[in-house]
Amino acid sequence: MSDLALAVKEIVCGYDGLDIIKGVSFEVERGEFVGIVGANGCGKTTLLRALIKLLPVNHGGIEIYGKNLVDMKRKEISQKVALVPQMMEPVKGFTVSEMILLGRTPYFERFSFETEDDHAVKRWVIQELKMEDIADTPVTNLSGGEFQRVAIARALAQEPKLMLLDEPISHLDIRYQVKILKLLRKIRQTRTVIATFHDLNMAARFCQRLILMKNGIILASGKPDEVLTRENIWKAYRIKAEVRTNPKTKHAKLILLP
Amino acid sequence: MNKQIKALFILISVLILVCLLSMFIGSVLASPSDESGSRIIGQVRMPRIVLSALVGVLLATSGVILQGILRNPLADPFILGVSSGAGIGAAIALAIPITFTIFGMSSIPLFAFVFALAAVFVVYRLAYVKGRSSPETLILAGVAVAAFASAILSLIILVSGRLRPIYFWLLGSFSGTSWADVWNIIPYTVAGLVIAFLYSKELNALLLGEEIALTLGVEVENIRIWLILVASLMTAAAVSVSGLIGFVGLIIPHFVRLLIGPNHRWLIPFSALAGAILLVVADTLARTLFSPIEVPIGAIMSLVGAPFFLYILRTRTVGGKR
Repeated sequence: MSDLALAVKEIVCGYDGLDIIKGVSFEVERGEFVGIVGANGCGKTTLLRALIKLLPVNHGGIEIYGKNLVDMKRKEISQKVALVPQMMEPVKGFTVSEMILLGRTPYFERFSFETEDDHAVKRWVIQELKMEDIADTPVTNLSGGEFQRVAIARALAQEPKLMLLDEPISHLDIRYQVKILKLLRKIRQTRTVIATFHDLNMAARFCQRLILMKNGIILASGKPDEVLTRENIWKAYRIKAEVRTNPKTKHAKLILLP
Repeated sequence: MNKQIKALFILISVLILVCLLSMFIGSVLASPSDESGSRIIGQVRMPRIVLSALVGVLLATSGVILQGILRNPLADPFILGVSSGAGIGAAIALAIPITFTIFGMSSIPLFAFVFALAAVFVVYRLAYVKGRSSPETLILAGVAVAAFASAILSLIILVSGRLRPIYFWLLGSFSGTSWADVWNIIPYTVAGLVIAFLYSKELNALLLGEEIALTLGVEVENIRIWLILVASLMTAAAVSVSGLIGFVGLIIPHFVRLLIGPNHRWLIPFSALAGAILLVVADTLARTLFSPIEVPIGAIMSLVGAPFFLYILRTRTVGGKR
């Protein structure tokens, strides 16, 4: 088997005959944490949706762990890839632990309910994310940041090899932003993570690689400090910025210019 | 887990209790010890009680399925026009007595089923744009189809010249129930319940939204069609023996959800039981309240159900969520 978690070749896709993604190719190695960045409407979410077959690909192909996505059944995909969407509504009446157990759906058989294995995975996820104290709390009582952790826990319960997250930190305060990103960095040790971001500094700080998109194509891809250059920022966002290095962490850091 | 088992026992006990009570009260205070009393109980009241319980199971379960699969807290076979559609089918079968039996089952449920499906198909096509609908559009589509269906029903009644039987049947009633009616709908009840229960996992995944359900490996489109078929068949079976009884599928799942939460593994059996209890009680009231005159049970349910529907409409939140 190759070391590739994901190989995307020249894909074109979109909605109602309108192409949003216009020929995108990239590869992701196992255990990488890749951030996808770009202005609103550049196709970040559309790309993620295509990677989990929520959207048909009109041209080109996607291979996940060496297998062609179009040949995979939903059940098979759901055991390999999990998605944490931008917005997920809490289910009224469910506790955190019941919500996490829904993540085991891909493994349920027609004539049985969850097995001891499923409960073991659920307990492992709760322990891993240190959620013991809120395990029995109704999900509707959680704050946005806490609920985002539950949403990630739900995806982790799928035991995916590849995790996709759509703007996982966009509406969180900085404490939870850091908390979630540290969690993703930890998850990355055992699986591959691809996430979209708006906050370039946070993305640069935590991702190993960034993909910068504009109008459905990839503008630049590589290490954060290679991607986040003055020229690229201007091309992607029409914003004048200076890129410095954070003296403590040595990560790229954007300073907006007037 | 324990909490649910306990509640299950309570519901079963309540069901047995109301059935027993209903058996002895009525226009004649029947006692099983004398001959006429035991005949009334065995041949008149018992089949009627069992049938009303089964219809309660059918309608409540059908409501749970429709609410889950359409992700819409206001979905109910009556409101969606499924019942009215089934009504047309059953009325046609009654008007031109072309009843026949297939594998020993009466043809009326089959007629009802075909027309129920047609109605649900029209509502679905009207209300769903790209797999989405707001509860309001769904209701409007249902109202339109139900109005259309009732016009057709009036026509059938006029043309057939059999006003009384069809009209009284339409109002919803269990009077004149025989054991044959019970045997007729038992297969639908058992099959529907079992299938609904087997798909409770998919219905649970759908609580998270259609897209997440897809990413959890649920073939949403296939399952939606399949479960709508099942719910329509259950509704058609209920309508074919009892006429139009509304709001059961709306009220019951709503209350049961408050009681034990949204997990369909519990929601389905609990709603089935609670639906049975509700209809046994409502039918007992229907035949005793103004005895010897019977109030149509459909009227009683609408009397209670319509205000309740408005209440949910005012307080509801989309998808059964906060």
